Amino acid sequence: MASCVRIRAMRELPRALWWLLAWAVLTAAGGVLLASLALERERGAFETDLRIVHRLLSQRVVQHDAVLAMLALLQPDGQEAQADGALARLPSVYPQILAVQRSDAEAPWRDAALVAAQAASRAAGRAVLADVDFAQGRYRVVLAAQPAAYGLQIDVRSMVPWSEWPMAEQDSPVAIALARGTQRFVLQAGRAPLRGWSFDFHKTLAADSQPFEVSAQRTVGWAELPWGQMLALAIGVAALLAAAAWLQGQRAARRRAEELLRLGQVVRLNTLGELAAGMAHELNQPLTALLASTQAARRLIADEPPELDTAREAMARAVEQARRASDVVGRLRRAVERPDLGDRLQSVDMQAAVRQALYLLEPELQRRGVVPQLDWPATGLRVRADPVALEQIVHNLLLNALQALDQMPLAERRLRLSVATEQGQGLLSVQDSGPGITAERLPHVFEPFFSTRSGGLGLGLSLCESLASGMGGSLAAGHAAVRGAVFSLRLPLVQESEP
Amino acid sequence: MNMTPAPQAHAPLVHLIDDDAAVREALALLIGTVGLRVDSWADPLDFLARFDRQAIGAIVLDVRMPGIGGLALLQQLVAQGVDQPVIMLTGHGTVEMCRRAFKAGAAEFLEKPVDDELLLEALQNAVRQHVRSRQRQQADRASRERYAQLSGREREVLGLIVEGLTNKEIGRALVLSPRTVETHRANLFDKLAADSLAQLIRRYAALVEGDLAP
Repeated sequence: MASCVRIRAMRELPRALWWLLAWAVLTAAGGVLLASLALERERGAFETDLRIVHRLLSQRVVQHDAVLAMLALLQPDGQEAQADGALARLPSVYPQILAVQRSDAEAPWRDAALVAAQAASRAAGRAVLADVDFAQGRYRVVLAAQPAAYGLQIDVRSMVPWSEWPMAEQDSPVAIALARGTQRFVLQAGRAPLRGWSFDFHKTLAADSQPFEVSAQRTVGWAELPWGQMLALAIGVAALLAAAAWLQGQRAARRRAEELLRLGQVVRLNTLGELAAGMAHELNQPLTALLASTQAARRLIADEPPELDTAREAMARAVEQARRASDVVGRLRRAVERPDLGDRLQSVDMQAAVRQALYLLEPELQRRGVVPQLDWPATGLRVRADPVALEQIVHNLLLNALQALDQMPLAERRLRLSVATEQGQGLLSVQDSGPGITAERLPHVFEPFFSTRSGGLGLGLSLCESLASGMGGSLAAGHAAVRGAVFSLRLPLVQESEP
Repeated sequence: MNMTPAPQAHAPLVHLIDDDAAVREALALLIGTVGLRVDSWADPLDFLARFDRQAIGAIVLDVRMPGIGGLALLQQLVAQGVDQPVIMLTGHGTVEMCRRAFKAGAAEFLEKPVDDELLLEALQNAVRQHVRSRQRQQADRASRERYAQLSGREREVLGLIVEGLTNKEIGRALVLSPRTVETHRANLFDKLAADSLAQLIRRYAALVEGDLAP
């Protein structure tokens, strides 16, 4: 038995490996899916944020163009400007404008960069960038006009509308810079690039006068992957597979139990069948010789004159063959002596045995629309029995009852099982509402080869009866009160002192 | 081993094949009581190799035997043109086995243990049948020998007689005078040892047709 279990465990090892493999594959696939979804989400957020940043900065630099255009149109005088404070007020309205510079015939610019930009602006007919000093965070932009040209000195950091900024400037992992040629002004440091997946964003601001490139980078590190979700997924998959494995195991176990039970019967029946065939041949030969010898002897004696010597020899042969036949019968009887179940007797819960048999026959019960009515004490009745033999008896009795119920209309099918104590014995009654057993058949139901079914071998009940008596119990058949048959299995109760 | 009153040497011979010595001896004794000779065989292959194929008689065969089964042996006997009728014996005969035995050419199919009346009657029927079939064979052989002695012209005349033509019609067909036809006809009856026209036609019609066919 122990070696049997070990062999099964060894055979099932690859099965466990398969489940493990299935778990690994499902988890890996789900994990990759979760990670790529998370990455896609991050990329979407990144790009949305950067589009907002680009729009905000573009709006600001376009504002600078508008301020310059307004100045060129209004041509505020330096003094007047000082007087009404228009120029002076500009930086207070636009904090990024550090200074406004004016150049006219009276006071032309000396600064070479401004002069060159003025010329370029005049040629282009729009504002142009004079110089960029991102190290100081500043740049100047110039618009040529008559009579005076204007320039604005812009502070980059003040230009950023932090209140509308889509990210937390300090904590955001996104690095953003404005770039012009080789100069870069870092708007947001972001996080140092690490191993993982990175997204990039490069787009020039939408103003020809200040063509700075918004350059951004975001790195999603391994640590940022949705490990929590993946862990939950792995656990979920494991739980699902475990449940599936358990269900499959249950089904397999049930099938195995059914097969074992059936096999036990088939083996016994086959053995009996072969025994019968062998017996037929073994007995036929001596009977043939016996018959031929005696008939030959009769003829020899009837001869005229009678051949007495030969007839005598023929009779001697006949005796010999009769002995041979009787030897065959003796051998046979020894071969089929009832197996001694005494060694295998143990304390068995009668109700549990019935429940197990019902469980195995559940599909048969359902197919026939039979709901067994159970009538037994709550505590298990313990009898001395061989568990396998007891289960086989109960199984056979139930099958027998079901076959009897097949002959009844659906509405009249009743199956009643009861367990009780009776004179120191455990009594199991299986009562069906089938056609019952006729009075003349009743004494023969336990005889071998007695069957009322056309396909039946007539060995099932006979087997049950010998198993029951082999365990020191008995099996009896009778009529039910109204209609149908009742089979009563009696087995000795386990004594209190016994385990 | 044979304890029966020794049958005459020319009595029909029954071949008995069964692997069980007791059965063999008892059946041999029983068969011997009706004056048949018995040749017993334990080994079917030994029997197949050595038995007397010329003897008049029958074969009694057990279906269940080691080495070669009774049915297979029956099929081999039929395939080899053995003409002795075969009686099959079996311990537990199924309808299917019975059907197969008759299909394979068994004369009778009996179940063991077999009653003496049944077996002996079957044997006697089989022997009678075999005798008749051997006689028919011999008659056929004699007819063929006589037919071979006829001249070409006589065969032509015989052919037309078998077809039912009169002497005059035969003369016209073969461009012979009725007298000549009459002479051939007399010779025919003489050579073929026929007493009447009916006998002549019954014995030789098949031979004439076989001769003309190719």
